[in-house]
Amino acid sequence: MSADRDGRPGHAVTIAALAVVVFLQVPVLVVVLAAFSTTSYLTIPPQGLTLAWFGKVLGDPTYLSALRMSLILACGSTALSLILGVTAAYALFRRSVPGAEAITAVLMAPLVVPAVVVGVALLQYFSLTGLRGSFVGLLMAHVVITVPYVVRSALASLAGLDLAVEEAARVLGATGFEAFRLVTLPLITPGLVAGGLFAFITSLDNVPVTIFLISASQTTLPVLIFSSVEMGIDPGVAAVSTILIVATGIVLLLAERRFGFHRFV
Amino acid sequence: MSALVFEGLGKSYGETTVVREVSLTIGEGEFVSLLGPSGCGKTTILRMVAGLVEPTRGRILLGRDDITRLPPNRRGLGLVFQSYALFPHLTVYENVAFGLRRRKVGGAELDRRVSEALAMVRLSGFGDRHPRQLSGGQQQRVAIARAIAPRPRVLLFDEPLSNLDAQLRDEMQIELKRLQRELGITTLFVTHDQGEALSMSDRVGVMARGVMQQFATPEEIYHRPATAFVASFIGKPNRLAGRVAFRAGAGGRVAVGSIELAAARIDEASGAAIEIVIRQEAIGLRPGGGAEDAVGGTIVLRSFSGARVQYVVRLADGIELVAETPSHGALAALEPGAGVALDIAPEAVLVMPVEGAAA
Repeated sequence: MSADRDGRPGHAVTIAALAVVVFLQVPVLVVVLAAFSTTSYLTIPPQGLTLAWFGKVLGDPTYLSALRMSLILACGSTALSLILGVTAAYALFRRSVPGAEAITAVLMAPLVVPAVVVGVALLQYFSLTGLRGSFVGLLMAHVVITVPYVVRSALASLAGLDLAVEEAARVLGATGFEAFRLVTLPLITPGLVAGGLFAFITSLDNVPVTIFLISASQTTLPVLIFSSVEMGIDPGVAAVSTILIVATGIVLLLAERRFGFHRFV
Repeated sequence: MSALVFEGLGKSYGETTVVREVSLTIGEGEFVSLLGPSGCGKTTILRMVAGLVEPTRGRILLGRDDITRLPPNRRGLGLVFQSYALFPHLTVYENVAFGLRRRKVGGAELDRRVSEALAMVRLSGFGDRHPRQLSGGQQQRVAIARAIAPRPRVLLFDEPLSNLDAQLRDEMQIELKRLQRELGITTLFVTHDQGEALSMSDRVGVMARGVMQQFATPEEIYHRPATAFVASFIGKPNRLAGRVAFRAGAGGRVAVGSIELAAARIDEASGAAIEIVIRQEAIGLRPGGGAEDAVGGTIVLRSFSGARVQYVVRLADGIELVAETPSHGALAALEPGAGVALDIAPEAVLVMPVEGAAA
């Protein structure tokens, strides 16, 4: 690695870094460009320029109901993950539970276990318990795969906290819950925003677990895109993807502006 | 009138006893320090008073109320932490207002009492700042204002000055003492700094290994230490092993090797092995030496530290003592090799049982 005296990277490093960024972002660019093509198949560079594909997918009830399903699922699982993940991380952090490290490992396991394995396992389990094909089952599955992100960011935020701050609040007259709500929670919020966003995005684009568990009548957007591609790709899929990319970008930008969460990623 | 009473207060973690049966009574408005090396249990006592650590044994009384099992938020105390523990997401104003808001103080009354508390620590006009915009000394003052604003029944300090540099620490000592006098709040101050404890307190409790060694006025602690630990922990001690030569009335003479010294108070029997503690600052030096009644020696090392000069003096039998004098005048300019006579008052020869022989 070459670096000059100011500790700034040399030209070679800068060029290498740029090359990696371009390589990673090109597919995104390809999808966005393809969404504007007038042809009925994906092509780069796009032939002509049209918003027709956006109109088509936004007017298609199949896409709209899949989008609604995905959003409900992502919002629901993120909210549940935040509640469960933050309370779990808080208890683990304060060491008020025996076997804290083992519990942490179990909570983080879905990050390590291949998603297909999680999907198959849950399918078996839901078949046995009669939850197969139900919305509740799907929601639980998404909580399982999103909760590690919340637990991880909450634990990291709590670790940077001076324990005395909460004690100070207690001595000043705050109950345990008030001390958490008025002092600890505001201090870990940026980390929770980061964890919540990860959870939301993870739920929103999950295919490998979801595809095992959905019923014929309910499908999510990424599963719908996945099956559309199998049947033959058209720029409509690119248009849906573009909408998702832009929406995600806007949310990330707003969150960064408001909470500066990049420190927790 | 007693403000705070410990009755057989103790704390153990499993087999390890951190605080052993401490009983003492602190008067209304009194400034009491708990002094001792780290790990002696002084902070544990403070945290038990605050309600942050649950005692294993004994009771804590606040006035007439038993507060031993009360949660911290219902004790009405003020605590200043070593790390300050300010709320970083709140302004200075909201930090100070926190305790008042929990007591349902609002509106103009809240404003008035926050301003009053900030004025007391000379931080008027800093209300809109955030803690990170303040210096260490200013953060310390905010922590004090936050603790005193709700008018606590007792103020607790956990090594509050140890994060400040030396000059600021001296300033804050005086300021804290003045503030405590003005407010008349009963104060428990935990520190490992004997200078702090002696200069600020009405009474000092010296602790070692979870045991309260002595609880007395700073003068008594310094001049009449109750245990060998106190004698050697306070001041700058010379510690010598010796024995009681003979007793006469309350005092007598003690022997260290072939040297005999008069001691004002001896509790041990004639011939008993003892530990002798003589403070560096209690040894007078006379150049030349050789007088009949005085101990003579030779200077082997001189060390200048600003206001004071320290000499290592070698006596007969290779015994060495450190003596300290002010750094001006003829006595400050003695060179190694010079002969001196030592003047040691009988009151300055502290005779203690051998460490470990008695508690």
